[in-house]
Formats: sequence, structure tokens, C-alpha cells
Amino acid sequence: MSAVDVRNVSKRYGATTALDRVSLAFPNGSFFALLGPSGSGKTTLLRALAGFVEPDEGMILIDDQDVARIPSFRRNIGMVFQNYALFPHMSVFDNVAFGLTVRRMPRADVRQRVGEILELVRLDGLDQRKPRQLSGGQQQRVALARALVTEPRVLLLDEPLGALDKKLRQDMQGELKRIQRTVGITTIFVTHDQEEALTLSDRIAIIDEGRLIQVGEPGDVYDRPHTRFAASFLGDANFLSGPVRDSGIMVDRVGHIATTSPLPAGDATIAVRPERIRLVACDAATQDNRIEGRVAERVFSGASLTYTVHTDAGPLRVLRQNADGDVIDIGERVALVWLADHSVVVEN
Amino acid sequence: MRIESRRRWAIAWLTGPAYLWLAVTIFLPLSAMLYFSFQKKGPFGRHASEFSLKHYEAFFTKGYLQDLMWRSLEMGFHVTLLCILIGFPAAYWLARRIRGRWREALFLLIVLPFWSNALVRIFSWTIVLRPDGVLDRAVHLVIPGLPTIDLTDSYAAIIIGLVHSYLPYMILTCFLSLQAIDESLLEAARSLGARSWTILARIILPLAVPGLAAGSILIFVPVIGSFFEPRLLGGPKGTVIGTVIEEQFTVVSNWPLGGALSFILLAIVLLILAAASPVLKKHMSTT
Amino acid sequence: MNQARWMVLASEGAGRLWLFLVLLFLYLPILVLAVMGLNDSVHYTLPFTFTTRWYEDLAGNERLLQASVNSVAVALANTLIATTLGTMAALAFARYRFRGRTALQLLLFPPITIPWLIIGTSMLVLFFWTGIGRGLHAMLLGHVALSLPYVIIVVGARLASIGPELGEAAASLGATPFQSLVRVQLPVMAPGIVAAALFAFAVSFDQFVISYFLAPPGVSVLPVEIFSAIRKGFTPEVNAISTIMIVVSMTALLLFARLSKFGGER
Repeated sequence: MSAVDVRNVSKRYGATTALDRVSLAFPNGSFFALLGPSGSGKTTLLRALAGFVEPDEGMILIDDQDVARIPSFRRNIGMVFQNYALFPHMSVFDNVAFGLTVRRMPRADVRQRVGEILELVRLDGLDQRKPRQLSGGQQQRVALARALVTEPRVLLLDEPLGALDKKLRQDMQGELKRIQRTVGITTIFVTHDQEEALTLSDRIAIIDEGRLIQVGEPGDVYDRPHTRFAASFLGDANFLSGPVRDSGIMVDRVGHIATTSPLPAGDATIAVRPERIRLVACDAATQDNRIEGRVAERVFSGASLTYTVHTDAGPLRVLRQNADGDVIDIGERVALVWLADHSVVVEN
Repeated sequence: MRIESRRRWAIAWLTGPAYLWLAVTIFLPLSAMLYFSFQKKGPFGRHASEFSLKHYEAFFTKGYLQDLMWRSLEMGFHVTLLCILIGFPAAYWLARRIRGRWREALFLLIVLPFWSNALVRIFSWTIVLRPDGVLDRAVHLVIPGLPTIDLTDSYAAIIIGLVHSYLPYMILTCFLSLQAIDESLLEAARSLGARSWTILARIILPLAVPGLAAGSILIFVPVIGSFFEPRLLGGPKGTVIGTVIEEQFTVVSNWPLGGALSFILLAIVLLILAAASPVLKKHMSTT
Repeated sequence: MNQARWMVLASEGAGRLWLFLVLLFLYLPILVLAVMGLNDSVHYTLPFTFTTRWYEDLAGNERLLQASVNSVAVALANTLIATTLGTMAALAFARYRFRGRTALQLLLFPPITIPWLIIGTSMLVLFFWTGIGRGLHAMLLGHVALSLPYVIIVVGARLASIGPELGEAAASLGATPFQSLVRVQLPVMAPGIVAAALFAFAVSFDQFVISYFLAPPGVSVLPVEIFSAIRKGFTPEVNAISTIMIVVSMTALLLFARLSKFGGER
């Protein structure tokens, strides 16, 4: 069963279309990432779920109930805002207790529930602090506790980790995942950070220019991107184009590139991930796809190296693990080889 | 559709009362005044309304009204110019050379008189400027043997009082635009070899134009509409267009003429603003 | 080198001297006014002889006392009405984007920029014509109109620094619009609202021009009473009451400055 169901939702602001007939089902208990560049419409979709934005067309169902006529405050959602939106005049305790006190829960119960949830987010002992006395990571935890304490039906996260620095962000990713598993709540989060989406979620929806591009499990979406945009936004990709011939395409001045994916008629574009390409000596024999070229650039990033190789099909990027400290010199001629399985046909 | 209609109601309920109030007390009165300025007579006694341009004609046929209008504009110009000459250097020094708590305190001291009654401040000048008053005594202390300084009922007294009333406006607006200038801009200019005077003329002044313009408008407009300041400080010599308008309502009860003169005054203000707007736009858009 | 240093010192000195002279110019007449209120001479002549009799005389001056009561009453009513209506409008501007929003905001400028002489006489014309008439009620109508734009601007500035997220957060947590207003929005806006209220009080308490045109014979507020006293040939009693007025409004501004962090960087 889907906890949240979005059907054919559109939203326009004047001449710009923020959402264009988006349909999307969010399964119960899933950790769902809405991934897209800024301005893609992903935040609009999240705000429509929260009830801050009213769709022009379409329907949103939460637990099979149409929520068009239900205002935000009766939707039973929890939301963590990009800047946390902690109430500055309230202590940590009062912030977290807010959702319970507006529901007129008895005082003793409030104290107990807030205590439990603060323990869950590992903030016990800080409950009398004011938000401005907390670090960014702590504020983030307060916001999360506040959103979870009412046991909402859905948890909405708007770029929840965007304001944290890299190390803290990685810690919080683990923390967020742990808490989500403990509580088991359906979680929808908006991000433009592909790594974050891959690490955290069990499902990803890629959104661009208001349209849903692709939905699926992170591994699937990564391995089988449907479009050129999906391939380049989630991870890095090299693209080759040409007319279709015998389960592959003919690339100008390079020759036949094989693929195992189904091909359209006419021309096709193939995407290859940089880490799926191996660099071998030019005289090595292989059955796989093969293009020769000259190393033009090398970028060192610690655990790996990225080579840019100039080939007859243009510059191609290759990622190589820094396993044995071997480095290929700039100017050297090499062959790029990869399996037909790793040539993914994408729409332009 | 539910959220949208809630939204509409919320906007209407929140803005409605304030704007209804403004409509009844600002815009409706101005309209009524405009209406009466085209009437032959004011709303006294029983007579049918009669359209007439005679009060506008009066301004163009009676030379003394034009002279008074001109006098008011001149007064506005003098006061504004003096406010710039006195206020800009003060604002510059405060914004660029004084730091920390001192700056805050001094800034507050400068805008503070603004919130004391304008009438009372004008009144205080009558005490200072009278013969044997504080100014007279102070000057004679420094240079004994001068004739008595009596600025009572003079144009100079009006100008002094008005500059005193409106100077904080100029310092305030100039301070805000000078304060906003990024120090790194000046450092960049210095690194390119510019001298202090060049920096002042080519960087600071152009960036301060919005502040100077805003201050000038905020001063010029009320000054040409002033009436009690010239009356108290200028006495019989303090007749300007503002006092004439006031008299149409408080003494001679010729409301249509008062209305016509008010709208001519407003029209002149708008013409001046329109003439200045190309310059203003150029500078406002770049900052 | 030495000469350059000398130049710097000279310009430092000149700048400070200029600021000092400006402050002297701004405060000298006010100080003279206050001092003369404590001087025995009726004609403001020196030598200075200390007396509090002008302040004592105030206590027996029925007209001035009545005018003071009227002034405070109108200012308080003005503060309440203008702050409430202005805060509501500021909330709408801060929280909603709607057609006509910019136009409504532009409409705030005429009350601030049109000379009070013209606004005051226009009010006189309309109020007389429609039968609203003159009096304290008419002054209140006028003062609120002049205070509203300032309240909307001051509260709006505070709201702009808060943003809409807090309200959305409250709604997402199940707070009804009313709960959100009382428990989140108003407490967060409080410094801005109090600052705006002080401002509105000062606008009304110091307002002379509008009151002057809307005061019928026999009913008056402080500035109008002071004006007629000055024109009649004044006594140092006027200095005494003026000094009190200045102290009241300056205190309001100092509180306003503290609350709105006016003029200082945060």
C-alpha cells in the first residue's frame, strides 16, 4: 500500500511550470528521495504534500484520502525545514513539545514523550537550551525530534542536511537513517545532492523542469538511467551517439559500440559510467567495446584518479581506483574497454 | 481551491481595515479637496454646486501668489542645499571614520531631536535668536562692541529653524547609503593608485547619490509646504504659499482657493520629481 | 612622512569638530528652552535665577492639563489602533504574494510624503462636509492614518527578517492558524510590534499640523495649546510643558531604538 499517492499533479506560477503532470507513489515505510537541480520543482512537490502549495490540477492522497480540502495543520505530517525553522523564543523542550501541546496532550504525557524522542536523537540534557545556543548539528536534531514527536503519517525533509559541513553531514546521514529505521516512518526528502540521495534512500525519483524523469531503487536508477539527464545528474557519464547497427551503434571514426539494452530505430545515444571503463595497453586483445586515445588530463582525488582521454569520439572520462599507486602519464596512448552490458541506451 | 479561497480571505481581512482607514482619512479627503478646488464656493450655506476654474485662474492672474510660490520654492532650495552641505560631511564622518559603540550613540543623538515636537523646536529658536538672546550674548562675548544681533522675524531665522528641523533626515539617509559602501571597494581603488580626493569624488559620492536624493526629497517637499515655521520665525516677513493656504482654511474660509493652491503645489512637486527622475533612476538601478 | 601624518591628524580633528558643531546646533536651542523653563525671568533675560515656579504653575493651568490628558488619550488610542491594523497589513504583505501587493505598498507613501498642511486641510474639508466634524475623534482618525505607514514599515522589516518558515513549521506540527498566531508569530514579532507602537505614540503625541486643523474651539491637545500660547505672547510655562513633551517623546524613541536595534549592526 502507498502511504502517499500523487496523481497527475501540475502547478504553474505564471508562465513557468513548476510541476507538470507528476504521478508518483510513495510506499509505506520507504525512505524516498526527490532528486533534482534547484528550480526543478522538487520542493514545490514537497510543499504540495505539506499543504503549503495548492496544485492546479491532480490529486494528492495520504492514506488513500484526498487531502485537497485538508489544511496543513490537519494533515498529520512532520516536516524538517532547510533552515530548521526552530521557534527562537522557545527552549528545546518547548520546541519539541509544541506539536503535542497544540493537540492538548496532558502535561505528564508530553514530558515523557519529549524525553523519549530527545533520547532517540541523542539530545537528552539540552532541553532547556535556546535554539541559538546549539550547534548546527544539534539544531538539526531538534528539528527532527520536533517533527517526529507527534508520530506523523509522513516525514517531509527539505534539504535537511544542506546547511551542514561535509563531515557533520556524513555523520547526520547515518543518524537520520538509523532514526528512520527505528521509527519506521514513511520519509520523503528533497535534495540536490546525488550522493546523499544514493546513501540515504531506498527509492529515488529524479525530477527535472517539473517533470518526473525516472523512479526506482538507487542501484537501478544508477545502472539503468533512462535519459541523458538522469545519467549525468545521478553520477557521471560519457555519451556516444550514432546510427543503430546490429545491437549497437556506429560511432563516427570509432566504429561499432555494442550494447545489451534494447535499441530504438534510427539514432541512439549510449551512456557509459567512467568507473565502468578500464584502461589497458593498446596491444591488449579484447572482445569488449574498445576505443583508443591519448591521456590528456589527470585529476587526483585521493582514493581515485580521473583521466580525461582524447579519442576520435571526443574526450572521455575514466575513473580508476588508486589501488596500487600506478599512475598513467599524460600523453600516453591507451585503450578504453568496457562490457556491452555497461553501454546503457538513454533518451536524449 | 480551498487553500486559494482561504488565502484570499486572509489577505482581505488583514489588509482591509488598514486600507479602508487610509481611504477614508487620506484618499477620500484629497479627492474632496480636489472636487472643491473646482467649485465656485465652499460647502457653506445653501447653494448649488457650480464648476469653476476661477481659483486656478487666480494663481495665474495674481502676481503675488506666484511670487509667494516662488519664494516657497526658493526657501525649499536653500534649506535643502544647506542640509546637504552640513549633513553630508557629518554623515560621511560618522559612517566611515567612527566605529563601534560611539557611532551608534552619535547616530542616535543626531536622529533623537527628530522625535521631539517640531513646533517646540521652532519655538526654542525664537528664544535663541531674539535680541539679547543666547546668540546675541554669545557673539558679543567673542566680539564686544558689535551692534545688537536681532534675527527675530527674518528670512535667516526661518532658514535656520527649517534646517534645524530637517537636517537629521539628510544625515540619516546619507548615513545609510554611506554605511552600505563596502570597505573593499575603497581598498580596491587605493590599490589602483587612487588618492583620497579621487576616491571621494569618483566612488563615494556616486554611491551616496541615492541617499542624497532621498534626503533632498524628504526635506524639499515638506519645506515648501511649511507654514507654522515661517509664521513663528518670520512674523510679518514669513508669508509663503503655505501660510496663504493655511489662511484660506483658518481665517478667510475660501476653501476652493486653498484647495487649488494645494494642488498647484503638489503638481509642482511632481514636476520637479519627474524632472529629477532620470538622474535618480540611473543611480538607483546601479546600486 | 611627518607632513602626511600631520594632515591625517588635522583631518581627523576637522571631522570631529564638524560632528560636534552639528550636535551643538541640534541641541543648543533645546537646552536653552529647557534652561529657560527653570529661569525666573518672564522675558527670558539673563542673569539666570533658578526657579521651579513655572512647573508649579502648570499644575494650576486647567487648559494645559486638559490638553495634556487629551494628547495622551488620543496618542494611546492611536497607538492601539494603528499598531493592530498596521501589524495585520504587514503580516499580509510578508506572508502572501498577491496581485496589487506592490500597488498597496506604494499607497503608503502619499501619507508620508504629501505635506501635512495639505493632508490636514483636506481632512478638514471632508470631515466638515460629511458631518464627521472636528474634535478628538477627528484627530484620532487623522493620526492613525499618519501612523499606519510607519507601523507597516517597521513591523514589515521585522517580519522580513523572520520569513514564512516559522508559520509553516507551526502548521506542519498541527497548530491551527490561531494557535500559530498566538504561540509563534506574535511572540517572535513582539520586539517589532512594540517598536512600532512607540513610534506610533510619538507620531501622534508630537503631531501638530493635523491636530491644528481638526481642533474645534475649546477642545485641544498639547501642541495646539502650545501654539496658541506662543502666539498670544508666551510665558516660561510653555517652556516647562515643552520640556516635558520633549522628554516624553525622546524616551519613546530611545526605547524604540533599543528594541529595533536602530542604527547599529546586529
